[in-house]
Amino acid sequence: MSHPRVARLLAVPVAALVLAACSSVGSDASSSGGQASDDVGAAAGKVKSGGTLTVALSAEPDFLDPTLAGSLYSRYVFNAMCQKLYDLDSSVHIQPQLAKSMPQTSADGKTVTIKLRSGIVFADGTPFNSAAVKTTLERDLTNPRSARVSELGPIASVDATDPTTVTIHLKTPFAPLTAALADRSGMIMSPKQLQAKGDDFGNAPVCVGPFKLAKRVPQNSIELVKDPKFYDAKKVHLDRIVYRIITDGSIRAANLKSGDAQVADTLGTDDVQSVKSDTNLQVLESPSLGYQGVTFNVGNVAGVGKAPGKINQPYAKDARIRQAFELAIDRKALIDNVFDGLFDPACGPISPDSEYSTDAVQQCRGYDPAQAKKLLAQAGVKTPYSLKMLVTNTPASLQFAQALQAMVKQGGFDLKLDPVEFTSLLDQQDKGNFSVLQLGWSGRVDPDANTTNFVGTKGSQNVGGYSNPTVDKLLGQARQSQDTAERGKLYGQVQAQLQKDDPLVYLYRQRNLTGVSKKVSGVQVYADGLIRVAFAGYAK
Amino acid sequence: MASYLVRRLGQSLVTLVLATMVVFAGVRALPGDPARALAGEQNDPAQVAAIREKYGLDDPVWVQYWHYLTRSLSGDFGTSVRTNIPVRDMLASALPVTIELSVLAMIVAALIGVLSGLLAAVRRGRPAEWFANGFALLGLSVPNFWLGLMAILWLSVGLGLFPASGFVPFREDPAANLHHLALPALVLGAGLAAVIMRQTRSSMLDSLGTDYIRTARAKGLQERSIVGVHALRNSLIVVVTIAGLQLGALISGAVVTERIFALPGFGKLTVDSVFQRDYPVIQGVVLVTASAYIVINLLVDLLYGLIDPRIRVAGEVA
Repeated sequence: MSHPRVARLLAVPVAALVLAACSSVGSDASSSGGQASDDVGAAAGKVKSGGTLTVALSAEPDFLDPTLAGSLYSRYVFNAMCQKLYDLDSSVHIQPQLAKSMPQTSADGKTVTIKLRSGIVFADGTPFNSAAVKTTLERDLTNPRSARVSELGPIASVDATDPTTVTIHLKTPFAPLTAALADRSGMIMSPKQLQAKGDDFGNAPVCVGPFKLAKRVPQNSIELVKDPKFYDAKKVHLDRIVYRIITDGSIRAANLKSGDAQVADTLGTDDVQSVKSDTNLQVLESPSLGYQGVTFNVGNVAGVGKAPGKINQPYAKDARIRQAFELAIDRKALIDNVFDGLFDPACGPISPDSEYSTDAVQQCRGYDPAQAKKLLAQAGVKTPYSLKMLVTNTPASLQFAQALQAMVKQGGFDLKLDPVEFTSLLDQQDKGNFSVLQLGWSGRVDPDANTTNFVGTKGSQNVGGYSNPTVDKLLGQARQSQDTAERGKLYGQVQAQLQKDDPLVYLYRQRNLTGVSKKVSGVQVYADGLIRVAFAGYAK
Repeated sequence: MASYLVRRLGQSLVTLVLATMVVFAGVRALPGDPARALAGEQNDPAQVAAIREKYGLDDPVWVQYWHYLTRSLSGDFGTSVRTNIPVRDMLASALPVTIELSVLAMIVAALIGVLSGLLAAVRRGRPAEWFANGFALLGLSVPNFWLGLMAILWLSVGLGLFPASGFVPFREDPAANLHHLALPALVLGAGLAAVIMRQTRSSMLDSLGTDYIRTARAKGLQERSIVGVHALRNSLIVVVTIAGLQLGALISGAVVTERIFALPGFGKLTVDSVFQRDYPVIQGVVLVTASAYIVINLLVDLLYGLIDPRIRVAGEVA
């Protein structure tokens, strides 16, 4: 599992099982118990000190090494263990964490200066300073197995200007850098431990964080203990956090109800009602920055990352067929029927919660099966037009695919399903062995990370082989601009072109459904999809 | 005898090498690339290539096999592609869990199976037999995963009698260890209990109808002694044989039970590593399992040879 046991490209409703995506429990957070998450952690006085919190995770984290980690689930654990230069607040705004203030960018956009907080030590007692930041960033950029290279963008060099100042020199301006430093790229590792462990750092990670690793039982659990050396240790109430891997959604919910776990991630939409009806529990619902959709293979002839070619199929050559497919989908009905209305419709890669979102960014082609049939007729294809869609073979994924299959039939499509196991799907997807694919992305704060890699010609995840010079140009301008309004405008233009070409039909954004015991206070789920429990505590 | 032993050892070694070859080729024939699965959502081609190189996945298959074989001989099974934890450590932590679970399940199954089988045989035609038969039918037909889920919902969530999941090592806290394993052992043992019950019942019925039991009754022995000592003891020989044969089924049932109760055992390790295409872990798991089967078979064959010289002689002639 499946998983994504790994946060990665996902076939749709694996989403429901695997992908927690990004979300925020902010002012609009809803919860069955009437108690939304508390933005500043558990307020002192309300909670008692001590105790062990058990978090049921739907998949196993991979490496506990911020440079190498590729899984969403390792981010959950890092959240309590490895603080970052920047972090998000409940309303998806970036705030300093280990940095003292927001970064200063030079007028040409090529030099970024970061001031660091002083008087902080790593869990091994060594000082946190600019040298540690430099060591970490250089490792992120040069380690051959690093998963951070593309996130960090065009960094030319990193200087430790003085003990509390880091200067990053860029080859070209790169607006998404700050958002990257609010994720794993911004997690600073102890240089002493890096020196000692090298590539085995993940087996004994040392960062600055409220908790540190105590024990890992493979495939089963990860146990963290409170770090007394943490600079804000007085705000940490729990003694211990245990992340236990329970892949089955119903069993996760059962553990929550029996009190064996106090927090459970990614509740299935079918378990939500039963958890809500339990007076000891609540469900935190928060929107996500990711998306789920259907990708058409319009040009992946030689594998992802290779130059797109021509696919000699009507659906690939004629955008009207893809537009017809979109017209044949009633997103709201689909969500209501399959997910009990718990998720949100999506028409593009950028969430309405993003600060870069505008009306143009959210423009959408509505449901119109009659028009769909008309477009198919104009395209001159025989109806019902037959398409084969690759999906993962999990029950939730198949259920969604079958609903979609029934729906597009009304618009003149004969959608055949090709269910395969998840890792095989990744393989076929990368090789381009598909016509249509159900696909999802967990989402990032900066819109660049939700667009360029997927619809940019050279994008590492452009598995459909889509290529449009206009889109490439607009995305390039948007990632270099420092102006929020201007970026929003550019992303609106990108969306307009995407709507025209429809290489990827965006369908819905899942909500993060997190089950939490009412005995616990201060559990937070923000826009980055992470469950934050480091400052939680048991209510008095 | 010495030549027989040498030949059997040689055969076992060949079987083991063949098993490793089949598995090695088999996991590589599976669609899906472990490096790609590991790279995750980011899917950076340079990173995927670096992962392939690090784990030698870009070498020719026979080179990979040779490395695997030579390292395995020195007890080095490599590290997990997914977590970077040595496979040896993963196996060492998973094996005791499954062994303990299987032993406990066997004890549970034997206790329930023998007692209910005994009851059904002695109270033939009465409600006790119908009850025991009904239980056996249920035990045989209800799938493990459903029973596990129901047990969690009823005994853990509803009544709060047992933890719903998790594992505490025996040496850390024996009481908590048994508390955590009680429910999984019950679920895993239920199917086997049904088999044992049916076997006990039928062999008890056979025994109770034999001449020596009639003689015992004629001698005026107490019924308790007739059933408990004379009939049961004879019936148990067959029961023990059947229970032994069912041990394999128990271990495969553990795969499902371990996943439901989130137990870090061998079964869960096997399934998870296959889904994640964690080649070194799959190979380690299979090597250990194949070795165990081969060693047990070898021991049994040797024992047969000791007990029955005809087998040994036949072997020598062949």
